[in-house]
Amino acid sequence: MNYDILVIGSGIGGMEAALKLGDMGYRVLLVEKEPSIGGKMILLSKVFPTLDCASCISTPKMAAAAHHPNVQVMVYTEVKEIKKNGSGTFQARLRKKPTFVDPALCTGCQQCETACTVAVPDQFNFGLVARRAAYIAFPQAVPKKAVIERAGTSPCSFACPAGIRAHGYVSLVRSGKYEEACRLILESAPFPGSLGRACYARCEQECTRAGLEGPVAIRQIKRFVADYYYGAHPEPEDAPPIAPSGKKVAVIGAGPAGLSAAFHLAKKGHAVEVFEAAPLPGGMLRYAIPAYRIPREVLDRDIKNVTTLGVKINQGKRVTDLAGLKDKGFDAVFIATGTPRGRKMKVEGEDLAGVVNALDFLRDVNAGRVSLQGKTVLVVGGGNVAIDAARTAMRLGAARVTVQYRRSRAQMPAHDWEIEAAGREGVVFEYLAAPVRFLGENGKLAEVESVQMELSEPAADGRRIPVSVVGTERKRPADLVVIAVGLEPETEYFGDQLAVNADKTIQVNPATLQTSIPFVFAGGDVVTGPSSIARAVGHGRRAAFFIDRYLRGEDLAGAEVEFDCRLPVVSKEEVLKRQESYRDLPPVSKKEILREKPGDFTEVELPLTEEEARSSAGRCLDCGVCAECRQCVATCPAGAINLAAKEAEKEVEVGSVIISTGLRLFPAGGKPQYGYGRFKNVLDAMQMDRLLAPTRPYNTVLRPSDGKIPNNIAYVLCTGSRDATVGNPLCSRVCCMYSLKQAQLLTGVLPLADVTVYYIDIRAFGKGYEEFYEQAKGMGVYFVKGRISWIEEKEDGNLLLTYEDIENGGKLSRAEHDLVVLSVGFLPAPEVRGLFSAEELAVDEFGYIREVEEDVNPGKTSIAGVFAAGSVSGARDIPDSILHAGAAAAQAAAYVERIRGKK
Amino acid sequence: MKKVSRDRREVIREEMLRREKILAALREGPRTVPEVAAALGFPAGEVMFWMMGMRKYGHLEETGEPTEEGYYRYQASVKGES
Repeated sequence: MNYDILVIGSGIGGMEAALKLGDMGYRVLLVEKEPSIGGKMILLSKVFPTLDCASCISTPKMAAAAHHPNVQVMVYTEVKEIKKNGSGTFQARLRKKPTFVDPALCTGCQQCETACTVAVPDQFNFGLVARRAAYIAFPQAVPKKAVIERAGTSPCSFACPAGIRAHGYVSLVRSGKYEEACRLILESAPFPGSLGRACYARCEQECTRAGLEGPVAIRQIKRFVADYYYGAHPEPEDAPPIAPSGKKVAVIGAGPAGLSAAFHLAKKGHAVEVFEAAPLPGGMLRYAIPAYRIPREVLDRDIKNVTTLGVKINQGKRVTDLAGLKDKGFDAVFIATGTPRGRKMKVEGEDLAGVVNALDFLRDVNAGRVSLQGKTVLVVGGGNVAIDAARTAMRLGAARVTVQYRRSRAQMPAHDWEIEAAGREGVVFEYLAAPVRFLGENGKLAEVESVQMELSEPAADGRRIPVSVVGTERKRPADLVVIAVGLEPETEYFGDQLAVNADKTIQVNPATLQTSIPFVFAGGDVVTGPSSIARAVGHGRRAAFFIDRYLRGEDLAGAEVEFDCRLPVVSKEEVLKRQESYRDLPPVSKKEILREKPGDFTEVELPLTEEEARSSAGRCLDCGVCAECRQCVATCPAGAINLAAKEAEKEVEVGSVIISTGLRLFPAGGKPQYGYGRFKNVLDAMQMDRLLAPTRPYNTVLRPSDGKIPNNIAYVLCTGSRDATVGNPLCSRVCCMYSLKQAQLLTGVLPLADVTVYYIDIRAFGKGYEEFYEQAKGMGVYFVKGRISWIEEKEDGNLLLTYEDIENGGKLSRAEHDLVVLSVGFLPAPEVRGLFSAEELAVDEFGYIREVEEDVNPGKTSIAGVFAAGSVSGARDIPDSILHAGAAAAQAAAYVERIRGKK
Repeated sequence: MKKVSRDRREVIREEMLRREKILAALREGPRTVPEVAAALGFPAGEVMFWMMGMRKYGHLEETGEPTEEGYYRYQASVKGES
């Protein structure tokens, strides 16, 4: 048996039971689902009728429970299931939720809270004020350790193939931390400038806000931060020196995959040399994407993020001898040569001068070798490369540029916005058309013969095949044909050194990117075939991780968990359910300079202004709650933050179980006629207790609507209790007294304020309660016998209460107040009912745990060995809860002794 | 026209977005919540959430006694200004 008694719930009842049992010498496990023990009492202002400070009573008990040698406290832990064993003991399965903060290191300094960029309602202040995603529950929390609330990985961050924490940099931009945002991107990828312009933004496709008015403009926000950061830092910032590992890595190919791998490998201390066949580094970013989409100075600045780490780039140097690299002292090789060759159409005349593939065309343009002034150009293909080639041809002065695509517009793989932009620049599209041969004179292209296509009936896979329509051949003159029908790798250079697939891509282990040669890894398009920049960047990052492990002699198998430590993606439906309503916040519109026949390569997309970037970031819904902006990691002086922490399950055997999970407040919105949740100055009593507590959310008692000190406060007793209309006929037992407590405190805090209590009858049954009532009257609190029928809100936030004035003949009367407190009743907490897997824990007709021998064995439940402590079996005031917990502790101790005796 | 209250979570989320503008308004001198709301053009109830959140984390603080109308004035704290 691991523990004698398991106590579930650490409110005043649970703490009392645990302490009494600990004092008796029993080993107690006290489990609490919140990050701190203390329950509701620690959040109260004072207790009645003594008006003693609730914190002053609670905190010694909290400290005693946390430090008792026989009591082990597990916070942020849920009991998932309890099963009774044959011997009378219990098997409990616990789920310890990750706090993402090492409690042994956290000093409770709150710097993570201050640095956090996500604001959410503070449940410990009942929504009156914000807390941060990184938070300490309340100032007297025990243990006083930070917790980071993470609902999962936000869909945007989860979708990014490059592993960039999109939610993180969006959240930083919302907070005005632009440089930090760029640095966060630079933790994952060296190309914020290029990705901010040319990434196809899977993040936006997955953005939860896309289900409302449209996605957050995540890519444009990235561009904004890159431009801002590069403006401030034309050269990379000095970074702390990295200890050399003594290992050398060769990277073949200086495209997005190769440079990303080099970047991450260099950050690990490896000496990296990149070999690039082209004259300049950048790969597709430079040679396939035109400068009007990625200005070359932006790309060059991106590449500096790599070279500043000491990475040497050998330009104009093709390397194919892998063993030779090994001989030259390289310990590992990463091949990232992309898909540099355009596919052939295999039609007559394709070898004529004037018929080129798109990549060669774009490369030549980049080298300044092309002029198309007054020429007629035909581009064949429907992908983004085709559109890039067509728009480039327009910029080179072509008189007419036509894109011919053999399927329909709907099937065109290029993005809609690029097709539309090309159209606005003067590119003509011919759908369902394809060239069948190219005709030339003296080896030079002169004409193109094309044919009309039609789509076949859908095949088994649903795809419709384009077939030519007989008799529709048509010739037209052309000066240049650009073929953009696909790209493929050039892996034949490596001969038979490597295992290669039929499509010429290199065979790799998909997790580690290791090839058939252990010291050689490969990634990017040379492995995947034509893909996206972000995916190539992600491959580079992945390869660097596994190459690093390889170089350190660590096992590669099974290391995926360490590489990808993301939490599961958050459900968008769950995110949207967090709010009852959403204000319409339309996304910023894309701004491009699009004019017919553009004459130069000026960037077409305009940047977001600072205001646009921030307001766009302000549309973010914080799906994962924590944005993973890592400001807490950067700020924590103790290095206590660990965002890779995982939840843990634990199973314990215990002799007895005490349930002390308390009760829940009646949700005041359940009486809609009182306007709670709609009228800002209608509070529930727990909120007022927070306003009166020493750790209050405001500087004093203020109206939430405008911060005004209220001077005419109303209490509405029996809200949601003694009320059959809401299904709760029970008296809360304490709402009269806690209201009188608050009324008395208010007369002290706000001496000029009037306090009126609307009641049915005052139940002052406990010791000193009647005197407490008389004391309130003596302090000037008004009492009106009558139930409130409804409340209306005035323009100034004041509230009109309509009530039955019982002591004046039962007439309907109205009164105006500037703050209303609803003295809510209690409801049973539902969590415990399904805890026991083999036996059913009986509850009474109201849902509270049934005490089967309440008169003679208080706390005893329907399951032998399971006891109820405090208000989990019915509403109680604090003294009664403590008394009841003591009884439950005694019952549990007796049970443990009985089962010991049987053994 | 009757004001429509926004969801509390949505309002609270915007604190980071509004912080600098609120601090800029307070740089002109201590102001009440309604005064800041008027300066920024937002409902006072929303500004209350943002300013109390900022107060909780030390960006602003109340000054002296309340006005005759019953409002405290707030100023940027040293931390808020840093």
